[in-house]
Amino acid sequence: MIVSFENRLSRFLGTTAIFIAIILVLFPFFWIFLESIKPPSLGGRPDIWRFEPSWENWGEIVFNSNVPLNILNSFFIALITVVISLICGAPAAYAFSRFRGFQGARYSILAAEMMPPAILILPLFLLLYKLELIDSRVGVITAHLTFVVPVVTWFLIGFFDEVPKDLEDQAMIDGYTRFQAFYKVILPVVRPGLAAAGIFGFVLSWNDLFYSLLLTGAESRTLPVAIAGFWTFRGIELGKMAVAILIAVIPVLILSYSIQKHLIRGIGGSGVKY
Amino acid sequence: MGRVDFKNLRKSFGSTNIIDGLNLEIYNSEFLVLLGPSGCGKSTTLRLLAGLETVSSGTISIDGCDVTELEPRDRDIAMVFQNYALYPTMTVEQNMGFGLKAKKMSPKLIKEKVNEVADLLGLTHLLNRKPNALSGGQQQRVAIGRAIVRKPKVFLFDEPLSNLDANLRLEMRAEIMKLHRELGATTIFVTHDQEEAMAMADRIVIMDKGLIEQVGTPTEIYFQPKTRMVAGFIGNPSMNFIKGEISNNSELKLPIGNIKVNTTLNLGEHVDVGIRPEKIKLADLKRKPNENIVRVMVTNIELLGPRAIVKTEHESGQVLTSVVDHDDIGKYELGTNISISLASNSLHIFPKIKD
Amino acid sequence: MRYPLIITNAAQMHIKYKLILPLVFLLSGIMLYPFIFSLWLSLQDYRLTRINDVQFVGFENFGFIATDQSFLNAMGNTISFVASAVIFELILGLSLALLIQKLVIFKGLVRSILLAPMFITPIAVGLMFRFLLNSEIGIIPFYLLRVGVSLDWFGPELALFSIVLIDVWQWTPFMLLMFLAGLEALPKTPFEAARVDGAGRWLTFFSITLPMLRPVIVVALIIRALDAFKVFEYVFAITRGGPGNSTETIMYYIYQTGFRFFRMGEAAAASILLIIFILVFVILIVNLSRPKVIK
Repeated sequence: MIVSFENRLSRFLGTTAIFIAIILVLFPFFWIFLESIKPPSLGGRPDIWRFEPSWENWGEIVFNSNVPLNILNSFFIALITVVISLICGAPAAYAFSRFRGFQGARYSILAAEMMPPAILILPLFLLLYKLELIDSRVGVITAHLTFVVPVVTWFLIGFFDEVPKDLEDQAMIDGYTRFQAFYKVILPVVRPGLAAAGIFGFVLSWNDLFYSLLLTGAESRTLPVAIAGFWTFRGIELGKMAVAILIAVIPVLILSYSIQKHLIRGIGGSGVKY
Repeated sequence: MGRVDFKNLRKSFGSTNIIDGLNLEIYNSEFLVLLGPSGCGKSTTLRLLAGLETVSSGTISIDGCDVTELEPRDRDIAMVFQNYALYPTMTVEQNMGFGLKAKKMSPKLIKEKVNEVADLLGLTHLLNRKPNALSGGQQQRVAIGRAIVRKPKVFLFDEPLSNLDANLRLEMRAEIMKLHRELGATTIFVTHDQEEAMAMADRIVIMDKGLIEQVGTPTEIYFQPKTRMVAGFIGNPSMNFIKGEISNNSELKLPIGNIKVNTTLNLGEHVDVGIRPEKIKLADLKRKPNENIVRVMVTNIELLGPRAIVKTEHESGQVLTSVVDHDDIGKYELGTNISISLASNSLHIFPKIKD
Repeated sequence: MRYPLIITNAAQMHIKYKLILPLVFLLSGIMLYPFIFSLWLSLQDYRLTRINDVQFVGFENFGFIATDQSFLNAMGNTISFVASAVIFELILGLSLALLIQKLVIFKGLVRSILLAPMFITPIAVGLMFRFLLNSEIGIIPFYLLRVGVSLDWFGPELALFSIVLIDVWQWTPFMLLMFLAGLEALPKTPFEAARVDGAGRWLTFFSITLPMLRPVIVVALIIRALDAFKVFEYVFAITRGGPGNSTETIMYYIYQTGFRFFRMGEAAAASILLIIFILVFVILIVNLSRPKVIK
C-alpha cells in the first residue's frame, strides 16, 4: 500500500496519479540527458532510443566552448549578489522582526519583491550605459540585487521571528550590547536560515535571464544567456544545448534539495501566517 | 549588597498604563515575590528593573545608585527566564561562561568559576552538552547556574518554574530557596502561583492593574489582607464574599442575617464581607460569644482526600463554601439543612469600591 | 519613548535605524531611484537611437500605449496566460499536496521529485520543451502522430496554451510547496472531530480543509499570479511572441519596445501601466478573499 485510502479504487487512482506526476517531471530530464550523450550524428531523432553513448557533446562543451566561462560568471555574480544581500538583509530583517514601528516596512519588502523587472530594467540599463557598465559583472550584480535582496530579507524576517526574544534579553543582561547580542547570539542561532535564504537567493540569481540578457555581453555573459544562444545561432546544436541545460540545472537542483525543508518555512512560513 | 528602590515608577504603552506609579523598597538579601494575576504588571516591573524595557517616568536605584537610564549590561543583575533562554548554539559550559566573557575575564578563570558553580548545582557531567540535549529540569539548573556564576547584586526570576511538571517544580523550589540561603543575594521572583509565593517569599508584593495592592510577609498577606482584591486572590478555595451594608455603628446588615462587628465604617456604607472557607465551622450546641449561626443547605460536596470542599446555600441565595476535614465529612449530607457558625473575629470587612 | 524623525547625530540614532540603514541605502539606490527614473522616463520621448535629443511629452506615451493594438493584445495574452496557468496550478498543486499527505511510503522522495521543476532555470525549461514539443524533432509529437494525433504545439492556435502548459509544469511545484506547508500547519483536532461526527471525505474537505487553507491559498495565488505576469523566458526561448503576435506577453512587449525599437519612453509608460494593473489586481484579490464577517 502506497497511498492510505480506504477503498481500493481510490487507492489505485491515487497511486496512478502520483506515478504519472513523477513521470511527467522526470521524463524531460531523462530525454535531455539521452540527447546529451547521443552521438551528434543521431541528434534530434525522436525515434532513437538505443545507441552507443558518446561523450562528444560533453567534451565539446567543457573543453571547446565558452560555457565554462559562463558558469564562472554566473557563479561569481550569484555569489556576490547573495553576500551583499545577506549583509544588508540580515540586520534589517532582524530589526523588522524585533522592533515596533516596522509593520509597514515588512510589506514594502514584499512589494519590492513583487516589483516587475520591466520597470527597473529601463532605468538600470540607461544608468549602467552611462556609467559604461554594460557587459560588466558589476552591472548584472546590481540588477540581480533588485530581486534577491527583498527575497532574502523576507525569508530572514520569518527566521528571526522564530527566535525567542528572551535570548537577546539574556545576552544583554549577560553584559552585551544590543548589537553584540544580535551578532554573537542571534546570528549563530539563525545560521540555518541564513544558509537557506542565501542558497535560495543564489538559485534566483543563477536562473535569471531577463536582466542578464540585456546587461551582459561576451565578457560577462551568464549561463542562461549562453543557453538561449544554442538555438538561435548557427542552427540548432541540440546535443550541446542538452549538455548546457544539464550543467545549468544540476547544481541548482542539488542546492535547492538541501534547503527544501527550510524553504517551506521561508516562503510558506511568512506567508502562511498572513 | 543589593538594595533596590522603585520611586514613582510608571510604564505606559500608548495610552495604557502598565505600571502606574509604583513605590517599593526591596531590602538587601531579601527574597521578594511579585505575585498577581496575568497582566497585573509584575513581569513588566521585573523587566524594567532589568533594563529590558525603558521607564516612562520615575526612578529605579540599586544600592542607592540610580540605574534608570543604564543599559542592562551595566546594572549588575542576573535573570532567569521562564523558558530559560539558553543559547542553543553553545554548550552548557559556554552558556554559563558567556556573561563572564563579556567582562573580558580570562578563559582560565572563567573555566574555574563555571566548574565551581556546575559542581554546586550538579551539572559537571553535562558541561559539554548542548541545551537541546538536556531535560527541562537540567535546562532550568543551567539557567540558574548561569545567573549564579556572575555573582550579581540582584537575581531576577521571571516565572522560572511554570514550565516544569509538578514534582520537579517542588524540587527546584526547594533548591532555589537553599541557594538563596547559601548565597544570601537579593532575589526578586515573579510568579502567578500563590502557593509558590507563600512557600518561598520573605515578603510578597501583590500587584493588580499596575498597582501594588499589598506588601507583607506571607502570614500578613493571608491573615490580614488589606484589600478586597488581595483577599479574593489569595487562598484556595477563595474567600467567601457577602455583600452588605452597615446598618448602625456596630451591626452589619447581610442577606444571611445581621451580624455584630467592630468597625469604624459609617452608617449606610456598602461593604463586602469576607470569610475564609476554613473558618466556617459546624455550629456546636453550646453557643459561644461572637458567634453567628446561619442555617444553610448542603448543595455540593467535593472530596479532595484529606479535606473536602462543601458548598452550601442560604435561603437568600447566598452561596458559602467551606473546607471540612475528612473526619467530619459524615456530618454533611447533600440536600440537608445544617447550622454553620461564622465567628465575628474571622470576618474581613472591605468597603465597596465606588466607580 | 519617541524618537525624533530627523536624526542629526548618528551616535544617538536608535539601533533599529542603524540596523536597517544598509538595506535602506541599497534599496534606494537600486530600486527607488530607478523607479523614480522610470516615472520620469515615461513622460519623455526618449529613444536610445537619439539619446541626446530627449523631449518632454507629458502623457503622450501613455496615450500611445493605451491605444496601441499590440500593447492591448499583449495585455490580453498575459491575462489569459496568467488566469489559466494559475488556475491549473492551483487545482493541480492542491490535489497533489493532498495526495502526498496520504502517502505512506516514499513521502519525502516523492515530494523532492515533484518540487524539483520550480528551481530550474526557466530558459532551460523553455528550451527543453521547445525541443520535446518540436513538430519535427520532438518526441511528444512523434509518438502522438503514431497514435494518430497531429498537433502543432507552437502553431497559431496552440502556442499560448503550450506556454501555459510549460508554466504549469514548472510552477505547480510552488503551489504544492505552499499547500504542503499549509496542510502541515493545520490543527489536527477539527479533522478528528469531523471523523467522530461521521463527516465524509468530501464534506470534510469542503467544510474544514478548504476554509482553513484559505489564507494560504490567497497568498499562493497572489505570489504566483504576480510572478506569472513576468513571464518572459518561455516566450523568448520558443516563440519570440509568434506566430503573429499570439504569444506576445507584456514583458516581451516591453522588451521589444525598449530594446528592439529603442523607444524607452513608451516602454516605461507600458511598465507603469503594468504596475497599476497589478496593484489593482492585488487589492481586488485581497478584498474579495477576506472572509465575510457575520453580523
